[in-house]
Amino acid sequence: MSLALDKSLRSAAARSQSSSLMDRIFSALVLGSTAIVLLSLLGVFVALAVGAWPALQKFGFGFLVTEVWNPVTAQFGAVAPIFGTLVTSLVAMLIGVPISIGIAIFMTELCPDRLRRPLGIAIELLAGIPSIIYGIWGLFVLAPFMQQHVQPLLIDTLGELPIIGNLFQGPPYGIGILTAGLVLGIMVLPFITAVARDVFLTVPAMVRESAYGIGATTWEVVWRVVIPYCKVGLLGGVMLGLGRALGETMAVTFVIGNAHRISSSILAPGTTISASIANEFTEATTDIYTSSLVALGLILFFITFVVLSISRMMLRRLR
Amino acid sequence: MESKSMQRPAAEAAEVEKIQIKDLRFYYEDYEALKGVTLTLHDKRVTAFIGPSGCGKSTLLRVLNRIYALYPRQHATGEVLLDGRNLLSKDIHVDSLRAQVGMVFQKPTPFPMSIYDNIAFGIRLHERVPGSEMDDRVESALRRAALWDEVKDKLKASGLSLSGGQQQRLCIARAIAIKPSVLLLDEPASALDPISTAKIEELIAELASDFCIAIVTHNLQQAARCSDYVAFMYLGELIEFGPTERIFSNPGHPKTVEYVTGRFG
Repeated sequence: MSLALDKSLRSAAARSQSSSLMDRIFSALVLGSTAIVLLSLLGVFVALAVGAWPALQKFGFGFLVTEVWNPVTAQFGAVAPIFGTLVTSLVAMLIGVPISIGIAIFMTELCPDRLRRPLGIAIELLAGIPSIIYGIWGLFVLAPFMQQHVQPLLIDTLGELPIIGNLFQGPPYGIGILTAGLVLGIMVLPFITAVARDVFLTVPAMVRESAYGIGATTWEVVWRVVIPYCKVGLLGGVMLGLGRALGETMAVTFVIGNAHRISSSILAPGTTISASIANEFTEATTDIYTSSLVALGLILFFITFVVLSISRMMLRRLR
Repeated sequence: MESKSMQRPAAEAAEVEKIQIKDLRFYYEDYEALKGVTLTLHDKRVTAFIGPSGCGKSTLLRVLNRIYALYPRQHATGEVLLDGRNLLSKDIHVDSLRAQVGMVFQKPTPFPMSIYDNIAFGIRLHERVPGSEMDDRVESALRRAALWDEVKDKLKASGLSLSGGQQQRLCIARAIAIKPSVLLLDEPASALDPISTAKIEELIAELASDFCIAIVTHNLQQAARCSDYVAFMYLGELIEFGPTERIFSNPGHPKTVEYVTGRFG
């Protein structure tokens, strides 16, 4: 009996020894996984900075304010892609934000219970469609439609107006800034919708009931109470969508036309930072060309980092 | 029903019946939360609903302005006559019903707008009021809610910047600004400190001269202090209804005795 007791004590001691070792290995593993993420972030930044250095050194601040992009003469300036990136994203926000908020309102205020889950899943699936699919669809379906129907209509109507008409000039190419913005707008829908729905659900039931309780209609409750209540969170969601729109590459590359110039018309072809990089990386034969593309990447990294940080801050204030 | 009405004192005959509830049943899907409640609320009187949690007192209040109708799985049967009109019937317009029956909730629910707009918002939903008159309406509502002196210099400040007690009085001001005839108060002081609670109770006593008030409370002293009638509910049924003094001094039903003496709750 004493032998049996001794044995079980010994095995318990061994077990505790081995389990504490396992525990330490486990801790090290999860800590290591986390460190990899932070190191990657840092590594990306360092690699971009090092790669961009020759271009930044050669062109200096001029890189940020020059429109010329000429591989033959080795003159590179980032203004056109930066402009295209910002304008396509702006168009995407103008289209995507109201629709996303509309969907979120429908889902939280009006949707019958039975429809709520399927609708939520459908929107999540929209987020799961690979961007190349959006690109193909944009090029083969949306662009011809824009060329034949939407753009001629815009040129004939809004294009005739003073000032604002400048935005709708030129031939209907189909592809261009507007089409890219439209595709981006659809792509950011699920992200903004998901955040908007979540923040709408944070409005206490009692506040909603109070508004209905003094005789407000759904429209009045949403417009005067729910949306103001969620202002900060909504803005966070919009910034999240903006962050995605700024960096989106494949779909935009397909439909933007890839022209390094700035046009006042949103019907004209243009380019974005990410589209330029994707398009030209394989043809960048000189070091300074490659370095200029990497510098573009650094700028994009910086812009999206700032936008996403603002988004995080706003969403955190909400909790 | 008969036994309850017989318990009423003779003096009550002079009272004006405002809301008559007849065999009201209420369902959360299949669960029956009110099992045939019948009682009458009088105009310019305060009726307190007491009873343990889950007895259906809040549910009853939520029927009186049909706020439950926001939730498709809840429904009510029976009759609730407000000035003789059945407010459960389909042809009642809920928005105008809610202009007549104001509600204040357990926690303050100021809207995310200025103090002034919190009041004006409700008024504008129902009436077209020119600017100067609106100022008067806002002021008089805030005065009646005993809040004016505290906020008159900061009407443009957010309603959310007020203290909890002030927010709750703002909600009462918002409710009375649209000139309802009935006020529903669902544990209006449960989230407030004793001083704010005393202010709310004082306010209820003052408002009683103009409104038919129904208040749900967990606080028996509060019911004793500020109501004219008490309805004791238990497990979805109205056990006893009568003048406050009698319910507390001489309750008729053994369950009521147990509850008001604090033996369960």
